Amino acid sequence: MDFDTRVKTAIYRWFAATTKAPAAAEIAVVLGEPPGTIRDAYRKLFQKRVLFLEPDGETIRMAPPFSGIPTQHRVQVGDRSYFANCSWDSLGIPAALHREAQVLSRCDQSLEPIHIRVTREGPRPVQVVAHFAVPAAKWWADLVYT
Amino acid sequence: MNEWCREHGIARRPILSLQQLWQLAVAWYDTRLTPEARRPKPDEMRRIFAGIGLEGPFWDPESDQFG
Repeated sequence: MDFDTRVKTAIYRWFAATTKAPAAAEIAVVLGEPPGTIRDAYRKLFQKRVLFLEPDGETIRMAPPFSGIPTQHRVQVGDRSYFANCSWDSLGIPAALHREAQVLSRCDQSLEPIHIRVTREGPRPVQVVAHFAVPAAKWWADLVYT
Repeated sequence: MNEWCREHGIARRPILSLQQLWQLAVAWYDTRLTPEARRPKPDEMRRIFAGIGLEGPFWDPESDQFG
């Protein structure tokens, strides 16, 4: 496994276990590597569009489907509460974890709360749709807006 | 939806059902926690989208139709 893949895998497993984005120093301890080497790996993963970093170049804003900051899309899995980046990612979290989940969000049109129960087979039916405002070719042009 | 898009100055674009969104989530994220996981390449993305009934320039990651 190449080094960047080891870092990526460690980041995702940290998110899954803790619900939070790991600092580079934390992954450095997990992998037994210098923090500067991990920060370099973070930047490479950002360039490869695996992670989305804050302007400081090392804080993880997004490791899709996980959000590193609170958002309107909360995903409850057992006793853990994650934040997703968008409606797609709110289903992506139970898909990635292979767990049942409760998605707690709100409609941007009506501001009404949305509650979706997700089983291992998929979401229980509710009257919601997802509007994709940004074409696929432009998703990473402004990922925060997307 | 049309009214909301007009009010917010956003072009009305594709709407996905909850089931389609789930299919997209599984296709994209099922293996995300494994070392083998990687971002789909453009052709793979097009195949994923087409499998869910999402086709055309909007779903083409290499389209130049949107400025």
